[in-house]
This record gives sequence, structure tokens and C-alpha cells, in this order.
Amino acid sequence: MEQNNYRPIKAKIENVITETSNIKTFVIKPEEPISFLAGQFMQVTVPGMGESPFTPSSDPKHAESIEFTVMKAGSVTVKLHSMKPGEYVGLRGPFGKPYPISDFHGKDIYVVGGGVGLAPLRALLFALFHELDHLNKIEVRFGSRSPNDISYKDAIPEWAKRPKTNINITVDMGDPSWKGNVGLVTTILKDGDVNVKNAVAIVCGPPIMMKFVNKRLLDMSFEPKDIFLSMEKNMSCGIGKCFHCNLGHFLCCKDGPVFTWEQIKDIPEPW
Amino acid sequence: MSNKEYYLSNANFSELVKKLLAEARVIAPVEFNGRNILEEIREDSISNINLSGYRTVESFKSYIFKLIEQVSSYFGTDISPKPPKYVFLGARGCDTSSIEVLDNVYLEGPLKDTFYEANRKNITIISADCADCGKTCFCTMVNGKPYAIKMFDLNFSPMPNGFLVEVGSDRGREIVDKNPGLFTDAEAGMGKEKVVNRQKVLDRLAEINAGFKLKLELCEIHKRNIENKYWKVLTKDCVECSACNFICPTCTCFVLLDHKTTEGGKRDKVWDACLKSGYAKVAGGANARGKLYERLQNRYQCKFDYSYDRQGRYTCVGCGRCIDGCAGNIDMRKIFVELERQVPLTAKLK
Repeated sequence: MEQNNYRPIKAKIENVITETSNIKTFVIKPEEPISFLAGQFMQVTVPGMGESPFTPSSDPKHAESIEFTVMKAGSVTVKLHSMKPGEYVGLRGPFGKPYPISDFHGKDIYVVGGGVGLAPLRALLFALFHELDHLNKIEVRFGSRSPNDISYKDAIPEWAKRPKTNINITVDMGDPSWKGNVGLVTTILKDGDVNVKNAVAIVCGPPIMMKFVNKRLLDMSFEPKDIFLSMEKNMSCGIGKCFHCNLGHFLCCKDGPVFTWEQIKDIPEPW
Repeated sequence: MSNKEYYLSNANFSELVKKLLAEARVIAPVEFNGRNILEEIREDSISNINLSGYRTVESFKSYIFKLIEQVSSYFGTDISPKPPKYVFLGARGCDTSSIEVLDNVYLEGPLKDTFYEANRKNITIISADCADCGKTCFCTMVNGKPYAIKMFDLNFSPMPNGFLVEVGSDRGREIVDKNPGLFTDAEAGMGKEKVVNRQKVLDRLAEINAGFKLKLELCEIHKRNIENKYWKVLTKDCVECSACNFICPTCTCFVLLDHKTTEGGKRDKVWDACLKSGYAKVAGGANARGKLYERLQNRYQCKFDYSYDRQGRYTCVGCGRCIDGCAGNIDMRKIFVELERQVPLTAKLK
């Protein structure tokens, strides 16, 4: 029989890491092999309850266990947050198109994230770290609501030690211990951070953040074809049949979820 | 397919349906309160089949894209599709055209909908020319015809006391070959009569839709109006009932709904409607189309703009069922005319 694209693969929760008050990372081991590339997403099933789409946050090279960093937002994620190691979820996918990483060779990479949007960018960073020899440099700019809302607190200093890699984090509201920048992520996107004539910008975050980051990047003279945006829509089937995730004539699940601004700039209010 | 056509008398038509019933379930139009509706035919109801008139109230869609269909049982042994065989008898030009749209969506790409595929493989399509048309029929405005052009196994064109039969596929050929006594050679002049009959219906369609003449292509009208706030005005009569979604033979949207079982869960594929407020909503509350006018516009863009880009055709077949079903009396054709009038104000073709 042909593969049933609606069937979730059984997968065991191996570990749950609390990142912030409303974000947890789930380490999930599928019972059948799955592989994915950075930028692709999967549907995580909470049995009997339903599915939600997430982009894995772990290294695509090590897919024996896949990590998903999940913010508590709707009914599925609230239930997921109550689940413990040893319990089972389902996985479907991967779906969508990966980042065209080989096209980034020889370029500056400008990675801009907001909130839980850092999750998919973490998988991308792992993929980029494997290709560091072929890249000019990686500049990461990340915005968070407060210092307590930053995920991967232990890992970020390690990433910053990588060659050719710089990381700058800003928070909307600081606290007494915060030494970094205070302000929206757009305030730390500076002319000269990267050579816009030979760079790509990769953005993931809440819709309103993406809208203003995109505007700032265009002001910095990024070409629309060099801005890669992760679009958040209501993906259900994942295979381009149910049409819930339509974005103009595109289907986010099949044609995305990552689009260049060039692709979607004519769609009114795509956010 | 060879162009050879056959004649099937009314008496032999009944015999043919009996033969078809031995191998498949037959769905065909029957008259009900002055309109044709679809019904599953049994041996004792063959005489109720009514191939005159025009399309039925509802479409054949629900037999291949079911209102609710289980698509997975996890994590135990998964289910596999076991659909019954169906004959769609008396499908009209709009019906066959709509099945092409469903195929374009569900069978497209490397990741198919295997449940639809299984249902679809078990369908034999015997289409019938429209002998008339309804007040809301507008197939010719969306490049359609009141008779099947393709997607049929056999096509029946009405003749005195029978039908002129065209073969459209190997499966259709097989039906003719297996029943040599029922199909006889077409008589001279029948082909001409078919053309004349078809033209009569085309003329009638032109008459019905004379008030909705457009100068621009529908895709251009819609592309040019993509940023037009006039959609707010056009939406004033919409009550968000989604009847247009559910009666539409080409609306393909669905949602996956899970239910708890002892092994894990079962997953159903259920019809959904893009006019419903929660359709594009994501967890956390953001909604890509939170306003009703945005959703109504999206429905039109989907049929005449987006799907045109994706499939190279309009995914509206002009059956007019949405007009018949609309609680707010919204007539798609009037919207086209209104939109075309708006074009000069918003001229900006991307």
C-alpha cells in the first residue's frame, strides 16, 4: 500500500527541558527513522487531541532524536506542556522546503530572531555551523521580551565562541542583572553589521516583529531576494491539500514555510 | 480514443444500468420537487433516473471527497482505504470539470491524498449533456461547456428514444465492448443533431447571462482588485453560513480532527469552510483573515486568481450552486460585474 501521509509516527518523549516560564524543549525519539533539513517543519500529534506544526530546533544531522521548542499557546501546546518523559506523541513530516544553504556559500549570514522564533533558527545555526568553512560570517541578532524569556541560555554563549560568529541579544524590558541592549530587535540591526551586497538575512519571529525587521532590512538595502522569512500560518495537512495555510497563491506548507520577500512582496499584508 | 460513436436506446439504457449495478453502486439524478437530485439507484428505481434538464442540486463531490472520512488510526495497525465502486451517471459538464479540479489538488505532487486517490480510482463517470440550464448556470463564463469535454468514461447525448454515446477512456471502451448487444452503431445525422442540441443550450446560457457581460478576463478582474476595500461593500449580505463552501463542487478545504482511542487516536478528514472566522486562525490568536470581507474575497481570489496561477484554470465551474444556496442572495456574476466596474479605480496589475 502507498504511504499514508496522514499517519503520525509514534515517538517517545525522552526529555523535557524548561526554557522559560512558557517555553519548553521536547526531545523526541521517533520509532521509525525520520530525517529533516533546516527550515522544514513537522506536525507533532498529541494523541487524541490533534496536531500542531513546529520546525525542529535540533541539529538536522542528528535526527535519531529530534527536539522541538514549544511555546504554550493553544490547546495542543498546553496539553504538550503537561506531558512527561516516557509519554508518546506522533510525528508527521518533514514538510515544506528547506533553506537553500548551499546558495549561502561565500556570504555573510544575518540571522534575526524574536521570541520563540529562535527555535527554528537554532536548527539553522547548527546546519550553518557544519558549513562554516564555506561562509564569510554569521551575525545573530535576537530579541526577547525580558531576560527571563530567553531560550537556550546555556547554549548561546557556546555558539558565540564559534569562529566567524557574533551574537547580539536585546530585550524589550531589562532587569537589574541585564547588561545588554534594551529595545526592540530592530534597534540592534545596524548598517555595516553585514555586507548587504553579499549577504542573506534569515528572519523568524512573531508576525509583527517580522514585519518591522523586514522593513528595516529593506532600509539597510537588502535585496528582496536575499531576505528569507519564516511565515506562520495554520498548517493542517502539511501536503498542500487542505488549503488552511494559503498565503496568496502560495501554500505555506508546500511552497514554504520559508519565503523570500521577493516571493511574497506583492501579497497585501502577508503577515 | 476513437471517434466512433454509438447509439443506446432507452430500453437498452435500463439494461445497461442493470449490468452496471451488478458491479458497482450507481449514483444518478432523479426528479424531486421539480429539481434533479442525486440518488443511489437500485434495480427497482432505474426508471426514476432523469437525464433531462441540467445539473443536480448537489454535486457528486461527497462520494469521492467525503464529508467525514477516517484517514488514520494510530499507533496500532493503521487503516487502509477500501472504497466501494461507484458509477457517476448523468454527471454534467460542470461536474466533470469539478472532478478535474479535485484531481489537480489531491493527486498533485509527490505527497498525494491516498484516500482520495483510492476513492477516485473506483469511479466510473458516465456524463450526460445538459438538455437545459438553470437560471444560475454560468459555466460558459468560466470557460466551461454545458456538456463534458473530458474526464468522462462515456458521454451520453440525448437523442429521440435514446442516447448518442461517446467513448472517453479505456474504461468506457470496456463497458461498450462487454455489452455488444446494447450499443448499436450511431445513425447518420445523430452527430449533427447532437451539435444542434448543444448549441440550443449554449444559446440559452447566453440569454440567461446576457446581463453579466464582462470585458476583462476573470483572473485579471480579481488580480486588479486584490487591494480593493470595495470588498467590504460586496460582503454586506454575507451571513457567514458557508453554504457556498459546502455546496461547491470544487471547494477542497478540509481539517484533520483527532479523537482519543485506547491505542492512541483516530484521525478524521472533515470538510472545512474558508468563510468561517477560525479558518486561518493560529494558536495564540493571530488570524490571517479575521474579517469576513477578507474571507469572502479570499474565496473569490482562490477560485479566479490563486488557483488560476496554480492549476492554469479557474477552479469555479460555473454551476451556480453557490448562488442557489446563498442565504444572503449573493450572486457571483453580479460580484464580477461590480468588480469590473471597480477596476479603473484600483488599476494596478502585478
